[in-house]
Amino acid sequence: MAGIADFLDSLIGGFDLICYSLLMGGLFWGLFVLRPWQHDKAYNSHLLDKTIALIYKGGFLLAAAQIFKIILKVWLMTAVLERWPFPEFASTTQFIGGIIRAVLTLLVTAYVYFVLRKHTFSKQHWWIAFAVSIPMVISGAWLVHAAGRFDNRAFLMTFTVFHQLGAAAWVGGVLQLGNVWKLHKQQLISSNNWPQLLKAFSTFGVISVGFILVSGLPIALQYIDTLNALVGTGYGNLLMVKVVLLGLALGFAWLNRSAMLEFFANRQNVAVFKKVPHYVEAETLVLITLLFTAASLASQPPAIDIPLLTASWQEVANTFHPQIPQISSPSHVALIAGEAGRVAIINQVPSLAATEWSNYNHNIAGIFLTVMSFFAMLSYTTKLPFTKYWPLGFVGLGIFLFFRSDAETWPLGPIGFWESTFNNGEVLQHRIATLLVFVLGLFELTARITKNPTSKLPYFFPILSAFGGLMLLTHSHVGFQAKSAFLIQVGHTSMGIFALILSCGRWLELKLDKPGKDIAGFISVAALFVIGIILMFYREPLY
Amino acid sequence: MKNQRSLFSVLTTLLLVLQINVAVAHAVVTEYSLKLKPIHAQHADHIEISFNSKIELGLSQIYLVSKGDKHELLTAEMGSKQGQIIISVPALEAGEYAIRFKVFAADGHLTEDVIHFTVS
Repeated sequence: MAGIADFLDSLIGGFDLICYSLLMGGLFWGLFVLRPWQHDKAYNSHLLDKTIALIYKGGFLLAAAQIFKIILKVWLMTAVLERWPFPEFASTTQFIGGIIRAVLTLLVTAYVYFVLRKHTFSKQHWWIAFAVSIPMVISGAWLVHAAGRFDNRAFLMTFTVFHQLGAAAWVGGVLQLGNVWKLHKQQLISSNNWPQLLKAFSTFGVISVGFILVSGLPIALQYIDTLNALVGTGYGNLLMVKVVLLGLALGFAWLNRSAMLEFFANRQNVAVFKKVPHYVEAETLVLITLLFTAASLASQPPAIDIPLLTASWQEVANTFHPQIPQISSPSHVALIAGEAGRVAIINQVPSLAATEWSNYNHNIAGIFLTVMSFFAMLSYTTKLPFTKYWPLGFVGLGIFLFFRSDAETWPLGPIGFWESTFNNGEVLQHRIATLLVFVLGLFELTARITKNPTSKLPYFFPILSAFGGLMLLTHSHVGFQAKSAFLIQVGHTSMGIFALILSCGRWLELKLDKPGKDIAGFISVAALFVIGIILMFYREPLY
Repeated sequence: MKNQRSLFSVLTTLLLVLQINVAVAHAVVTEYSLKLKPIHAQHADHIEISFNSKIELGLSQIYLVSKGDKHELLTAEMGSKQGQIIISVPALEAGEYAIRFKVFAADGHLTEDVIHFTVS
């Protein structure tokens, strides 16, 4: 149960940031982009009501997330420490700060819900809502990991809050843009609102990104002291992931801005209505992943604190070094024989069989994905009809994982299927994962061959692969062997980025018209190919 | 359509319970006294451990692990330096041991780690 609590704890951080973006980003949107008091004739009640609804819904969810975080901590501590954590927990900064922040969040949300909602065009009420939110924003400083630092604590806490505000302004604005497009599609607002708000947000978005960079750089320089620390630690690695995701999001932002500028230059550009909304959707996927990565980063020890556990760049590069995939597995007997020594604390003996067993699993999974993506790429460039059946590979992969995931259980090991599935949480998760891969294959295959143009089935794949990418990015962790764990993490975070590209590509393929559709689709399966290659060359450190 | 939506909910819920691992860590050991002051056999002693973050000692557990991975709960108190804890270690036979700790850092993260040492 500790594992589930820990996992939810790592997810709730990202969810918290999304809600924070809805609330604070929504207020920024109202104050600096929408500015309703200047456009009372251009905006109608649908636009204002929905805008404010997003803000207070974000606020209520943020308060709930804050409370849930505390519950999770209690759950986690009870499970790990094997005792009830009160009364000690009640006097911690996390408990007191968490309760205060939840109350302050409810306060600002209540103002938005009960007052601002009834004075949507009032400049004064928008600014009061912002003023009421300031204590909540400040209270968040005691809940970030800078609060536990000894050096430059106030500086790090302050800049982290600024960094969060910059991110909230951008992400919250993008979420509001999605809301505007939804209203536009439903013909509930004037057709001019969409391009005009796109234009207004474009400038505001640039300022937000500038704010993110200006506040983020000093924090990064405090936590990462060498170039090697950037490359060779979990903290540095996740920071680089954030930079890559920021680049991806900026790419979509640039496409949006270009289309918008062209629209206002000649008023004939249809991309603003045909492409930009879907770029905004893809940008949203990237930004949400970015927020979860940011939350995950907060659970990593800063690189500056672990100089002796930092991997060299050569060790990191070796993780991606092309090599012949391992296509023979150690025997099941050898694997089981080495397990007791591997998991021991005293007189631990690294198990070569366990490492090779894992390498084999990863490498074979890589071969599956590489072959699948090869046929998928062929399906875009040739007329060979059988290539569209490439998702069948997921079915094969699911069967492979079923046999290999848990060596100690049925069908390879002595523990029975039902006994292992319901008595061991980890085995249960593997069984579910196996089933999921299997089912995903069937879904995507059906989606690719269906003749029904309104089927929603094709959307399962991009949504679930985005979620898979998010899992790979957020579940970096430091166990007993930080360096080995990092060397495993670095390959998985790379795959996480490509899973996100896979997801965005497939999403845009489903949404755009030709030729953008085909380009996005090809990029998507090319990303699958890269994931396959990373898995095919995967080598686990011996531990 | 309704069926597809429920199926989607089931799938996302299933995904939520995947890939569960052990505790994440933010607090890490920056130094410990065993490097400079080894423990000698048959003498009760203390081990000082410094972390990079503030520690909530009341919500932390420290174990002595001996041969056969036998665990014994130890007592600890805050040291004079920031982030430092002092662990009381009973008199030990010569051999391989480890200090296994689960600490709750002020930033809200639970950390588990192990420090190996030899008593000679």
